[in-house]
Amino acid sequence: MNTVGKSLPRGDAYQKVSGEALYVDDIKMHGMLAGKVLRSPYPHAIIRDIKVERAKKLNGVIDVITYNDIPQIRYNPAAYPPTNVPGRMVLPKDMFIVTDKARYVGDPVAAVVAIDEEIAEEALSLIEVDYEPIEAYFYPFDSMKDDSLSIHECAEKNILHKYDVGFGDIDKGFKEADLIIEEEFSTSRISPAPIEPIATSIAMAHPGGDITIYSATQTPHITRRIIAEALGLGISKVRIIKPSVGGAFGGRHGVTNELIAAFLSIKTNQPVKLSYSREESLVCTTTRHPAYLKIKSGVKKDGSLTARTLDVVVDAGAYACHAAGVTRMMGLLGLSLYKCENLHFGGKIVYTNNPPAGGIRGYGNPQGTFAVESHTDTIARELNMDPLEYRLMHHVEKGDVNYQSGLEIDSCGIEECIKQGAKKIRWSEKTKSSSENKKHGKGMAIMIHISGTRPGLSELSTARITVNEDGCAYLSSAAAEIGQGITTSIRQIAAEALGFKYEDVKTDNYRQVDTMVDGYDMGAYASRQTFSNGVAVKNAALDARNKILNHASKMLSYDKDNLTIEDSIIKDANSKEELLKVADVVYDVNFKEDGQYIIGIGVSDIDGNSPPFAAQFAEVEVDIETGIVEVLNFVAAHDVGRAINPYIVEGQIEGAIQQGIGYALIEKLMVDNNGKVLNPEFANYKMLTSKDMPKIETLLIEEPSPIGPYGAKGVGEPGLVPVAPAIANAINDAIGVRIKELPMTPNRILKALQNKKD
Amino acid sequence: MIKTKTLVNLKVNDQDHSIVVKNKETLLYTLRERLNLTGTKKGCESGDCGACTVLLSGKPVTSCVLLTVDCDGKEITTIEGLSQNGKLHPIQKAFIDNGAVQCGYCTPGMILSAKALLDTNKNPTEEEIREAISGNLCRCTGYEKIVKAIKSLSGNDCNS
Repeated sequence: MNTVGKSLPRGDAYQKVSGEALYVDDIKMHGMLAGKVLRSPYPHAIIRDIKVERAKKLNGVIDVITYNDIPQIRYNPAAYPPTNVPGRMVLPKDMFIVTDKARYVGDPVAAVVAIDEEIAEEALSLIEVDYEPIEAYFYPFDSMKDDSLSIHECAEKNILHKYDVGFGDIDKGFKEADLIIEEEFSTSRISPAPIEPIATSIAMAHPGGDITIYSATQTPHITRRIIAEALGLGISKVRIIKPSVGGAFGGRHGVTNELIAAFLSIKTNQPVKLSYSREESLVCTTTRHPAYLKIKSGVKKDGSLTARTLDVVVDAGAYACHAAGVTRMMGLLGLSLYKCENLHFGGKIVYTNNPPAGGIRGYGNPQGTFAVESHTDTIARELNMDPLEYRLMHHVEKGDVNYQSGLEIDSCGIEECIKQGAKKIRWSEKTKSSSENKKHGKGMAIMIHISGTRPGLSELSTARITVNEDGCAYLSSAAAEIGQGITTSIRQIAAEALGFKYEDVKTDNYRQVDTMVDGYDMGAYASRQTFSNGVAVKNAALDARNKILNHASKMLSYDKDNLTIEDSIIKDANSKEELLKVADVVYDVNFKEDGQYIIGIGVSDIDGNSPPFAAQFAEVEVDIETGIVEVLNFVAAHDVGRAINPYIVEGQIEGAIQQGIGYALIEKLMVDNNGKVLNPEFANYKMLTSKDMPKIETLLIEEPSPIGPYGAKGVGEPGLVPVAPAIANAINDAIGVRIKELPMTPNRILKALQNKKD
Repeated sequence: MIKTKTLVNLKVNDQDHSIVVKNKETLLYTLRERLNLTGTKKGCESGDCGACTVLLSGKPVTSCVLLTVDCDGKEITTIEGLSQNGKLHPIQKAFIDNGAVQCGYCTPGMILSAKALLDTNKNPTEEEIREAISGNLCRCTGYEKIVKAIKSLSGNDCNS
């Protein structure tokens, strides 16, 4: 390997350290107007009337739109790939560009477009809305009641979807058990909170009905489709350009505010920028679904599982978005972690009047794994087994069925992850508490995730490589760079497969994705981007390489099989004698013969989802006077298949752990009993700073995927998945109490300690 | 009549600017919208995330909560002022070499906070580094490689 496996500098780093990188909000256009959204102050209200005349008269206001102006087309903003499996895609279309009825505090009711943001903001106060507030629900158990009002007409008892999925014989399984253990857990609503606020869009309507939208999206092509449908336009009329994106983490996994900007631009025939504030970003875009999970396991004395059920109630918030897909993953991945033949997953997904939720990093797996891996420790302790030994004995392995995909697990490095991680954290050494009040403990958790969405969902990714007459290649792909480093990783894959030097492969580090220029790609989600797009890029590179070698063999009168390309030079495959420069071949092809051009095309032909695995270990200190938990050390051992760029892979894991610790200990969007978010800014929605982070040690275990590019598996999401249960288990080790709710705040810890005493 | 605009003199990245600004205008707005220095990022507009950090007379400040009129006559360094003739500043280079850049949105502010630290303390400890950048939120990296990048410069004279 010449380029794959090396921590090469990122292609877009220069732009980012110099301030040259352009994000949507940095783009200016001649005649650009500004949009602003009027939001409902009520969690649930019928809109009787809206008067916009006063706002329209304000100097500098161009137009105001309400529900009465927009196309009467419902849409679902979730970027979900097409599927051929009946019933697999559950995406209720329950949203309008601006709403017909207020369903949460912050629901868009109208939008203003003006010559600048200040005037647009002022105009909002001149819009008169006649609301009729009605009963609102902030817990799914309330909105599910028989006499509850419907939040959406399409959902009976506000349940938007149910799962009832069984494997084996659950009753027989529980009968065979020596011991049955049942526990309940709950998780909180958090924000993905990238530092570039979600969402900023610039829409530019063109004469003739086409529209260009600059969007910080994770999913340019799917977003294009959703926008086209919601505006009633043909897909090819909508062009999405994705410049640099300041982090996403699932928060840009579909349409955010593009449709409002687009419709304002169509109405005014001028470019319109719509930038959400931090508060709008935290409350009115997307959050992680709170879940209430009940897990029940039948176990033998040796710990083997005879049966397991997982029942979840998921708070969808005000709109369906990704809720059904997230819930499916929550259940089926959680149940796929340990060997067990008799399983059942029950899920209820319920509308509430809380802020909307979506497909945040981990896509349901963090909730499910918090329950399963906390519960695993309970089982091990109940059986007087070391939780590490328990996991080593009962984890799934290669050849077992992964219930999430229905496929056999094609490669599995979990054992190595557990063993190496245990060594690093010194699992067998007893932790010493620093004082009477400060208790130390160690805990661990494991996880299984996905690389992409096979089988069942489309994994289309494409790439194009053109080779210039100087021997340098341009790589074009719609892989969405959102900060994770995909443009660098695929550049390394291309260079490796072509036999070129890394510097001889170029990607566009400014524009990045343009749906009018780049071939189709599903986007950056499901830890799929390197996995699927990497295969497309590799195929494109092999195609181009093949064409170069074909021509070189003619030029040299050499058997093609005896030629190779290394360091951008054509060599004899055996003797490594340097024969020709790639540049000479390409020049010859392009300009000396008719109708030839070195262009490689690649499509992802991936047919599985090689699950990545991980084992994470936390060492904590719990202050039993204050209830404060400090994470002292954190070890993350991840089966990444193959690290295309180890720095980038480590960076994914380290950042995910930071988010995971936040999820475990401090992060929560707090909604009061009037539906108002109490902490809608960074002053009170706290995230971990540099001072709060423990030492992280990342171990990359490479158990190659048989289908991923050079063996790579997905790495974007796994880092976050087992953090909370690893910390919960460490807290339990330290103070002997199990915290079953996230986040594990000082209050909850003190309360649990008090209950233990009583 | 109440005066709503003021003429201010700013020295930004060694260049003098005399500009008329609104009295309630933030330095962030002036830099981004009037001087087109969009390397300074808007993250929260409440001084909490540090993405808009610039150096005001050499000290890191969050430009989203500073009024431009209060910066009259002051010297300001933005990320665009760090590289000289296309040559990156050693801190910028260290960020690239150590894999400290992901989405890049916190990067300009993070680099300027690091510069302010290294300008006054050539051998910062890890604790001092973590303290110096604690006002700059990053959601991508876990700070691990950012701290490493800054540490790699410990003992170097970054201004030479």
